[in-house]
Amino acid sequence: MIDIITNMLSMCIPFSVALLLASTGEMFNQRAGVFNLGCEGVMAMGAFVGMLIPFLAGGGMRVSQWYNVLGFAAAAVLGALFGLFFGVITVTFRAPQGIAGIGLQMFGVGCAGTLFRHFVGGTQSIPGIPDVDIPLLSKIPVIGEIFFSHNAASYLAYIFIPVAWYILFRTPWGLKVRAAGTNPRAADSMGVNVSRTRYESLMVGGALAGLAGAYLSIAQAKMFSDTLISGRGFIAVALVYFGHWNPVKIMGGALLFTFAQTFQTVVQSFGISFPYELAVMLPYVLVIVVLAFTSRNDMSAPTSLGKPFNREIRT
Amino acid sequence: MKKILVLALVLVASLSVFAGGSKDSSTADDGTIKIALIIENTIDDKGWCQSMHDGITQAIAAMPDKKIEYSYAEKMLPVDAGSIARQYVAQGYDLIIAHGAQYKNLVLEIAEEYPDVSFAFGTSSEIGPANVFTYMPESEETGFLNGMIAGSITEDNIVGVVGPVDSGDSARYNRGFVLGVQSVNPEAKILVAHSGSFSDYVKAAEVAQSQLASGADVLTGSSQQAIGALRATAESPIAMWLGQDTAQLTTEEGKAKCVAACAYNYAAVVINLVNKIESGVKGGECIPMNFANGGFVFAYNPDLEAEWVTPELKAAVQEAMDSFIADPDGTLADWADVDYSTL
Repeated sequence: MIDIITNMLSMCIPFSVALLLASTGEMFNQRAGVFNLGCEGVMAMGAFVGMLIPFLAGGGMRVSQWYNVLGFAAAAVLGALFGLFFGVITVTFRAPQGIAGIGLQMFGVGCAGTLFRHFVGGTQSIPGIPDVDIPLLSKIPVIGEIFFSHNAASYLAYIFIPVAWYILFRTPWGLKVRAAGTNPRAADSMGVNVSRTRYESLMVGGALAGLAGAYLSIAQAKMFSDTLISGRGFIAVALVYFGHWNPVKIMGGALLFTFAQTFQTVVQSFGISFPYELAVMLPYVLVIVVLAFTSRNDMSAPTSLGKPFNREIRT
Repeated sequence: MKKILVLALVLVASLSVFAGGSKDSSTADDGTIKIALIIENTIDDKGWCQSMHDGITQAIAAMPDKKIEYSYAEKMLPVDAGSIARQYVAQGYDLIIAHGAQYKNLVLEIAEEYPDVSFAFGTSSEIGPANVFTYMPESEETGFLNGMIAGSITEDNIVGVVGPVDSGDSARYNRGFVLGVQSVNPEAKILVAHSGSFSDYVKAAEVAQSQLASGADVLTGSSQQAIGALRATAESPIAMWLGQDTAQLTTEEGKAKCVAACAYNYAAVVINLVNKIESGVKGGECIPMNFANGGFVFAYNPDLEAEWVTPELKAAVQEAMDSFIADPDGTLADWADVDYSTL
């Protein structure tokens, strides 16, 4: 029994990273007042570009890890460009954010699939990045397997969470982001360039979504297909609400969701008499239940979330 | 006003000409048979869709005396497929294959509109209307053979099955696999889990990793999502794989990990369909696929065969295959009785 629980917990960290990165990026978007439903599309493009670089370098065979690093970097840059593009639509042109986000999602997924067929062809895999056993720590019974035997990207992603918290709550830029999403009018009157702050947040959010996609294609599935993301971008958006726009709580949500995913596969694998259709739904039901029962007093939603800002119009 | 009325009449007349044309879809005068394929993934997905595409191209190659035209439409969700199916009808296609049970309602609806065109969808064992064929791989046979190998080569006595959903040919394959394992190794623990999706490679990989972490050292999986599970198996230094598609033997992971693979030989189905259409039968039949009628192929991995497949095991697998050919209806008639909760 201990082995089963240890195995489940040991899978939570690597399997949760894509959701963690994407939802942290979405948190930056929403903290600045922009609701980006296009996360799925940006992840798809990140996954494609991230996989493309090591694939072109090695034709699917093992290559220097620097090509994987380059894949992550390219995915981040492309994601930031998508964020910039979304900013032009929603910040400069003030298009409805929900519709624009759905458009970005379709564009990203379609574009990634089309480019993949053109540059790669059919379903292809890459060696990706290997797991790393951290010396000494990985040898600790139970703890070592759960925390210290994963790929390098997952460690970096988890190290980034306190950094994201610090940036958001302890730096002047983080204060500007929160002000732009909570009371842009007041922020503007205090000299904060709301539009610029929203652009910056969208680029940070896009870069993180791109990295999340690249994590799936380089570190987790180690392959690409245009169905690779399969709704994880939307789960990431839900996790932002789940985590009350706080990176640490979002991390908890990502881990809980992933644990539920892993739990349901174990329930199925061990022949526990439970309809598998319900088991597959379990993580999603969990998110809905937690969202439904979250006290509204605890909600710290940016009050200007989804509202375009026009400094020329006084409301 | 008069000009607008005339223009409207001309437009209506033009449309009615096209509408009339779309119903005219009988076999071309020069005897050419036009086949169209509608699939939800791509022709090179190394799984479900590719096997049908390969089957059609092989069938065309196997019938050099016949003039056959072939087109396909990829990435067609059921909601989008109606449009492309009607376009194929308008272009005079004789046989439109919508490859997947998810197209059932669509096919039945369009088939009623165009009774002169033959349609086919599968997997399904239902007998359709007079212009609808169905096809049903009896894939418990392929699963059984792979299960025999898995049960024989497992060293830790734990094998894993990564299914998409528990229905159709996947349900038959998985249950056949369980029977195959139990036939050679009744003590083996069999872990069965479903990803809930035919195309979520990441989730399939997660299910496989979960089973590997639980001690499984031989895995199998069905539908295109199985590629994700195969990829995860390739990461394990000890685990091996048994494939439900011989295309997996050509991948880098398959070359290293896939001991053997079965595949659907849709060429046999397509040849059958073409012959029936030529003889005037447009549907109303279910075409089973099994070893007896050439609906399945089975192959060992030449790089791994000597190491993993003993002569005794090979002989036992051949014997099972021969029994399927001799009695396609009886050998595995109890496949549906397999209950995963008792494993």
